[in-house]
Amino acid sequence: MRVLRPLVLVLMFVCVFASLNSFCFAQDALDRIRQRGELVIATDATYPPFEFREAEVLKGFDVELGNEIGKELGVKVRWLNLEWAGVLGSLESQKCDLVMAGVTITEERKQKGYLFSRPYFLSGQTVAKRKGDSRIQKAQDILDKRVSVQMQTTGQFAAEKIGVPKDRLAKFDVLQDGLMDVRNNKSDALVADLPALKEILRKNFPELELVGGIIQEENVGIVAWRAEARLVSAVNFALEKIMVDGRYARLHAEWIREPLTTQILGGLDRVGKAGSVVAPARTFEGLEFLTKQKREVAGSSGNVQGGAPTPPTASALSIRWDVIRASLPQLFLGARVTLILTFLTLLFGTPAGLAVALCRISRIRALRWLAVTYIEIVRGTPLLMQIYVIYFVLPALHLDFSPFASGIIALSVNAAAYIAEIFRGGIESIDSGQMEAARSLGMDYFGAMRWVILPQTLRRVLPPLTNEAIALLKDSSLVSVVAVTELMREGKEIATNSGSATTVYLAIAVIYLLLTLPLTYLVSRLENRWQPIRREAKVQKGTKA
Amino acid sequence: MTQILEIHQLEKSFGSLKVLEGIDLTVKEGEVVALIGASGSGKSTLLRCINRLEPPSAGRIRFMDAEVTPSNLNWVRKQIGMVFQRFNLFPHLTALENVALAPRKVLGVSAEVALREGRELLDRVQLSEKAQNYPGELSGGQQQRVAIARALAMNPRLLLFDEPTSALDPELVGEVLAVMRNLAREGRTMVVATHEMGFAKEVAHRVLFLDAGRILEQGTPEEIFSNPKEERTRTFLARILER
Ligand SMILES: Nc1ncnc2c1ncn2[C@@H]1O[C@H](COP(=O)(O)OP(=O)(O)OP(=O)(O)O)[C@@H](O)[C@H]1O
Ligand SMILES: [Mg+2]
Repeated sequence: MRVLRPLVLVLMFVCVFASLNSFCFAQDALDRIRQRGELVIATDATYPPFEFREAEVLKGFDVELGNEIGKELGVKVRWLNLEWAGVLGSLESQKCDLVMAGVTITEERKQKGYLFSRPYFLSGQTVAKRKGDSRIQKAQDILDKRVSVQMQTTGQFAAEKIGVPKDRLAKFDVLQDGLMDVRNNKSDALVADLPALKEILRKNFPELELVGGIIQEENVGIVAWRAEARLVSAVNFALEKIMVDGRYARLHAEWIREPLTTQILGGLDRVGKAGSVVAPARTFEGLEFLTKQKREVAGSSGNVQGGAPTPPTASALSIRWDVIRASLPQLFLGARVTLILTFLTLLFGTPAGLAVALCRISRIRALRWLAVTYIEIVRGTPLLMQIYVIYFVLPALHLDFSPFASGIIALSVNAAAYIAEIFRGGIESIDSGQMEAARSLGMDYFGAMRWVILPQTLRRVLPPLTNEAIALLKDSSLVSVVAVTELMREGKEIATNSGSATTVYLAIAVIYLLLTLPLTYLVSRLENRWQPIRREAKVQKGTKA
Repeated sequence: MTQILEIHQLEKSFGSLKVLEGIDLTVKEGEVVALIGASGSGKSTLLRCINRLEPPSAGRIRFMDAEVTPSNLNWVRKQIGMVFQRFNLFPHLTALENVALAPRKVLGVSAEVALREGRELLDRVQLSEKAQNYPGELSGGQQQRVAIARALAMNPRLLLFDEPTSALDPELVGEVLAVMRNLAREGRTMVVATHEMGFAKEVAHRVLFLDAGRILEQGTPEEIFSNPKEERTRTFLARILER
């Protein structure tokens, strides 16, 4: 019965969210931009030479190109720097108008409902490896190696396409973490865009080198949300102008470090013709507000790239049940990993925490000091950093663990410190007369702990321990940075992938709730069972019956 | 009669505070010694030094044939039962489990035997119906009787009582004193810190008056209660009997 109330809460949460939908009116992005006088472009600034931060300043090819486009549209540009996993999703939630993040134009993304501008850069997927690793001579050599990628990039798709099996693919949020993984000998190769990879290796990874050749040629485009055909037309018009008047060539030379040749420009169109990319836009009705003409133009898809047949009024807040249904199996896999992570962490972390707590209250000063140091270091530093240290730094000391093992170790090390403090508080809350009574009966210290103090402590620390378990279940999502695919990571991938981030994140929230509710319920049951009065009542009932 | 306990020049300080000084005390087998004295005079501390819940600062304590030292501490404690002012029953165990715990875990008695003997002990303190109750479900007087049974379960050679009735409602004091009276009659060796002068007068063989950490005066109950030599004993008794 107690579990019903939270369930009702979950339902209410979902309903309120769904009904928000009806209060939102879709509005044309171009009108919105005009009203604001500001164009918001989302990016992920970990991708030189396209976009990166240097001394707090956002720089790069995309950034300058985007600013030029803003000039053409007559509005200011505001940049939104996000993690890659959230970049495309921010279109759906209308946090931004456009995405410029070296995004490759793919059929899959178009089908998800993203609109692409005309291609503005010719790129390709290539492979990086450790210098001197003779096993890898060409792209095909990585099929039986461990390969890292940045999650949900075309690097991942290319690796999957050439046949790297899923269980040997390590997916990172940040490209540089994937490269570190290769440098640390944990992965053997990484697949990513050629220009970005070249630039990052040059700057930060002298130990790595490129394997010659390109797996597949790709076109990079600017992305908009599905109903914004007028905006895309305007962007295409601006792009053409920038390409024609020489600004594009200047940016190309400055950032890509290669002079712009007709061959490169031809490549843009070549891939365009061979693949799904359509020829450059020729109609510019999207720009009419700039020329202050009053003629209203119906949203026409014209020459705009993409063109998934989605309803133009689909709002950011509507729940897509089809997406939920399709992604449930994958989300359940993620939930299972999250549960296993949590369970194993509690399994190792609880006894470890108890041991640390016993050291913390020990009469031996050295033990006490060790325990305090441990607890303070763990509590005083972010969990994320601890995960990084265990996965990326320990290999230097020849302590090398798999991502999953690293995750468990980091979470256990972290949880043990908090659990130790919970146990210490519990033990210290037991009246000192209990220890005295036990000792006066001839029990030694550990016997008294075992038979008298700890059984009482356990009942007291159960509620705070549950809180810790719930916190842990949620914090376990952080281990996704070392390529463990748990619930949150699985969800992020589906969200980037499906084109309906809101729906997916809502589904994840509900799953997390469903995972934490049984914990709460279980503990309230246990607490009832352990309440002496109630147990007594039961015993008496039992004997009467 | 054989000597069970011999204390020689015991001293105890907490930091700079001297709580016990120059304590000499011998207890013979079967003897009941009452410790009286004002609050803060050191009665509890003296009892706690005997089973080393507090390590003495100086002096010697012999129990049976051995010096009490940190190394034979658990052996000593097995033979010395202690009953506390605030009972200190184990709240997570039933009355019976409270009594049976130490014999099982310390002496290694089988569960079956420990529980049977535990029931007999609870019977002796008139609590057989409460065997399955938890301490939280018992009155103060009942809890203290369980605590006495718990101490007896180890079959100790010496019993220490630290004001066993002073946390009790007045109407519950009698039932606990009755149990203690029986123990004395059985010939148990007991050292009892108490404010119950009636009990001391009636049951104790010897009364010790503790004042500011020293044994100021000792003797039979008649000597101490009817004819105290020291002025301070007289004022103490006058004050406490007036109540
Ligand atoms: N752990 C301790 N640390 C510091 N001082 C203590 C400690 N235990 C007792 N004392 C002090 O020692 C003195 C004697 O205390 P003790 O408890 O032995 O007195 P008592 O005769 O039992 O008094 P009461 O009748 O109130 O129980 C008191 O002044 C007390 O404050
Ligand atoms: Mg006292």
